[in-house]
Amino acid sequence: MSERHPLTQFTIRAMPFSDAASDALPLRQLLRLSLFQVSVGMAAVMLLGTLNRVMIVELSVAAWIVAVMIALPVVSAPFRALLGFKSDTYRSSIGWKRIPFLWFGSLYQFGGLAIMPMALVILGEGKQAIGPEWVGEAGAALAFLLTGLGMHMTQTAGLALAADRATEETRPRVVALLYVMFLVGMAVSAVIVGWLLRDFSELRLVQVVQGTAVMTLVLNILALWKQERVTPMSKEEREAPRPSFRDAWRDFASGGKAGRLLVVVFLGTMAFNMQDVLLEPYGGEILGLSVSSTTLLTTMWAAGALVGFGIAARQLSRGQNPYRMAGWALVFGLLAFSAVIFAAPLQSALLFFIGAGLIGFGGGLFAVATLTAAMTMPAEGLAGRGLALGAWGAAQATAAGFAIAIGGTVRDLVNSASMSGLLGDALADPATGYSVVYHVEIGLMFATLIALGPLTRFQRTNPTPGEAKARIGLADFPT
Amino acid sequence: MSDDPDKASPTGLSLKEAEEVHSYLIDGTRVFGLLALIAHVLVALSTPWLG
Repeated sequence: MSERHPLTQFTIRAMPFSDAASDALPLRQLLRLSLFQVSVGMAAVMLLGTLNRVMIVELSVAAWIVAVMIALPVVSAPFRALLGFKSDTYRSSIGWKRIPFLWFGSLYQFGGLAIMPMALVILGEGKQAIGPEWVGEAGAALAFLLTGLGMHMTQTAGLALAADRATEETRPRVVALLYVMFLVGMAVSAVIVGWLLRDFSELRLVQVVQGTAVMTLVLNILALWKQERVTPMSKEEREAPRPSFRDAWRDFASGGKAGRLLVVVFLGTMAFNMQDVLLEPYGGEILGLSVSSTTLLTTMWAAGALVGFGIAARQLSRGQNPYRMAGWALVFGLLAFSAVIFAAPLQSALLFFIGAGLIGFGGGLFAVATLTAAMTMPAEGLAGRGLALGAWGAAQATAAGFAIAIGGTVRDLVNSASMSGLLGDALADPATGYSVVYHVEIGLMFATLIALGPLTRFQRTNPTPGEAKARIGLADFPT
Repeated sequence: MSDDPDKASPTGLSLKEAEEVHSYLIDGTRVFGLLALIAHVLVALSTPWLG
């Protein structure tokens, strides 16, 4: 350090994105870094909520095409593991691992949103003037794919960067903050976009969607500016061949903990998300709640999630074992779904709202606990943090996508069977379909608990020297 | 700093480092240009402005 030329030092300080500051992550920088989550949340709301509705209602696109388009980002989620691995083994003379991926991820997310409205307009009925028929579908597919890929790249690299910079003590709080920002991004942009699109026109659609594209770039560049520490690689390091993904994956999966954690994340996320699009119709159709009070449901869910994030951060930074925390989250989930199921026979709206809040609470606890566990995975051998976080993200995003699709399908199938009297008179009730989904979720929670069990034992009987020593006494702290 | 012998002062960046920063700029511009092209084609198909 001391032998650096003053000019060199000046450049290092002035150069964009690079920051030679200390290891610690000051709050201001952390808040700035978390802006990438706001932009990813914004894109998620656009893809899954706003554009979904706009395509079906305003542009009258066939439902199956809409379903395929929305599935594209979900289907590409497993690439996260590969992206994380690429970022871990990135060869850079400057010493960047995450910044290039954040930059190009932002660019793809921006690009997808930038071409999205035009593609959707062409996709709509009778809006195409010239050219072959398939252009609308191809353009929309490209837009959804680019946006999804960009979100996956941005989030994987961003989480890995946050994990690189956080210390052992601050990690749970960093994770919780990143989750809060994701929720904030979704909530705020849902309100703003909904308000802007209240008088729908094609011009307005183009303005709003491209506006979010520009916001993506603004937020992400603010987030990544000067965040990654520059650790230049020597010539030998740069020229060393990159390890193969298969070898890195073998190192990652060795020890048995990583694979199990992924199974837990997959099953648990399915369990906490299957009711996602079913809670509001359940409230309206079965409990006879009004539209405004079903909107309150989302508020209850979000409030529960925020409390969950807060409590998870507090307990985990006090040394609570993240795997046990995930276990507690599942217990709260069991309570939550029991409450939701019993709300129908008891016709109790109160019980239903409590259930919705508890689903949010349990889901929040579970998400922070498992993400903290993924970040804490020792980066050993060829497997780095990017791979671990990419794999976590892949399991989480895929499970959430599948869960929503399965939930809706199961409700429809069971309801059409039960209403036609196929399952007997006792079950000929529109509540049956919903109830089956909630019971499946409870079953999945027990499955997750079974998968989770050995992980908590690993931590207690087989602590890694040094790491667990300071924490073992507090791991049994009552919650 | 890196052990590169071919230093390209006065920026303090080595040749390799400067090239890397440059490559992000160039690739970014390429991606951006391609996206602009696609967007223009899509707009032209819905409202042809040439003939």
